[in-house]
Amino acid sequence: MNALAQSRPAALPILRRLLAEGGWGLLGWTAGIAIAITLYIPLFPSMQTPELAGILDSLPPELVRTLGYEDITSGAGYVQATFFGLIGFVLLTIAVVSWGAACTGGAEESGRLELTLAHAVSRIQYAAEAAAALLCRLVALGAVAWLLIRVLDGPAQLDLDPLDLLAGTAAWVSLGLVCGSAAFAVGAGSGRRLWAIAAGAGVAVAGYVIEALANNSDDLGWVRAVSPYAWAYQHTPLADGFDGGGLALLWAASLALLGIGAVALARRDILG
Amino acid sequence: MATAIQTRALTKRYRAHTALHDLELSIEPGTVFGLIGANGAGKTTTLRLLLDIIRPTSGEIRVLGIPPRQGGAALRRRIGYVPGELRLTTRGTGRALLTHLAQISGPVRPGSAEQLADRLGLDLDRRVRTLSKGNKQKLGLVQAFMHRPTLLILDEPTSGLDPLMQREFLTMIREARDVGQTVLLSSHVLSEIQQVADQVVVLAAGRVVASGAVTDLRLTTTRRVQATLTDITVDRLRALLSAVDGIVDASVTDVDASRSTVHASLTVRGEIDPVVRALTAGVLHDLTVQEPDLEESVLDLYARADDAS
Repeated sequence: MNALAQSRPAALPILRRLLAEGGWGLLGWTAGIAIAITLYIPLFPSMQTPELAGILDSLPPELVRTLGYEDITSGAGYVQATFFGLIGFVLLTIAVVSWGAACTGGAEESGRLELTLAHAVSRIQYAAEAAAALLCRLVALGAVAWLLIRVLDGPAQLDLDPLDLLAGTAAWVSLGLVCGSAAFAVGAGSGRRLWAIAAGAGVAVAGYVIEALANNSDDLGWVRAVSPYAWAYQHTPLADGFDGGGLALLWAASLALLGIGAVALARRDILG
Repeated sequence: MATAIQTRALTKRYRAHTALHDLELSIEPGTVFGLIGANGAGKTTTLRLLLDIIRPTSGEIRVLGIPPRQGGAALRRRIGYVPGELRLTTRGTGRALLTHLAQISGPVRPGSAEQLADRLGLDLDRRVRTLSKGNKQKLGLVQAFMHRPTLLILDEPTSGLDPLMQREFLTMIREARDVGQTVLLSSHVLSEIQQVADQVVVLAAGRVVASGAVTDLRLTTTRRVQATLTDITVDRLRALLSAVDGIVDASVTDVDASRSTVHASLTVRGEIDPVVRALTAGVLHDLTVQEPDLEESVLDLYARADDAS
């Protein structure tokens, strides 16, 4: 028999294990996002027709605004409306919320957290490494999305500036991080996987609904202030580049949620 | 040398329910200490408190001289732990799991995990989630022992193990003690604790109902005796047994009158010696002395405590 590959204390053991064990899952989500991009993005040139413009004109303006299709005739508007604002947002949210819930409430319910924390791992260390794993996976998905859209930019006649695309991708990833952090915080605080999923999904849905409401009413514009979706996309980063204020809000919210999760985990009893 | 584990007035409450009530424990280094109790008696609560997995409502804990919460990760590096309900669901192999756990415990001497696995007959190359309950339990034991911790805290460590492996496990415990490791193990099986522990504490409903050296603790005072004898009559045996103190219940019946075969079924509280002597008035063909189950022993302890007061 071979000796154990590694038999002494090592750096970042939790992060490494989560990434190693989540490898197939990450690959699956990467494939899903790649498929969504390759299905939607190349359709852009064929959408540039008078007929489509006519259809959009004939739709109720409320629906067009809710779907974010006002600007669908530009490359940036199209990528935003179809991918970053819709299918990409949904896929990323599901992935990151399930990860945030799995490493907290899921690990606790399966009894895995108890065994880990009975070893030489502090609660804060566990939370920090689990959050880092979440971030690593998000960055991987972001890199794949950026690269693939960049490759399709020419054939699909999107005419996206690479840096603006990076700004849009960063906004997308950061929005995902907020949802994942909400799941993480509630999972770490409660030890319940389902509550964590509900929290993460709740933040995503609430953000989207608020944005849709605000799009349809000038009076409700102020509610954007509490929507992570609006923080990410209201200044159209794909067309206009980095929105420092929006990104700062997204990251501040994420770090606050991750911090709350870590502290809550450190202070309470692990469920048996 | 300081005590390995010391608790003072250790109490754990969950809302209205008190899981542990004023527990006083003092465990000397290099000894094997048994925690006995039925399910829900507070054994698991106690062990989880020692590892800082849960926090006490009140009272003090010192593990290897340090409060667990202060000691943190560095203290737990010196402890090997088997949880009471070991649920291993990981997709990887046993070897991969042990590699990970070695990274988050003390340094593991090369080959030591494999040696333990060999001893217990565990295949480390099988996927963990496909292992049987007993094999998962073996994996739990390997990870607890592999870094030679100063202190072993084992919650129902033999659950799911077959009798042969239980014996091997008891040998491992004795070896651990011989090299100076301290072992705290819980069980609801009395005999297993009796075979290996130096000191025991019996918990019931979160309170200590008995404690002391295993030999002093007269837990096994109630025994069931079954005997088959020949060359004696029912009346004669009844007369002999009625003269023995401590037989609380006796049934003596004829099995085969022609060959004067007699069966006796007795419940004995107290010394076993006079009972066996009485039985040897005939020719013994079969004799079993059964130890009581834990429930019975603890009830018996209660009864005696009540008698005394």
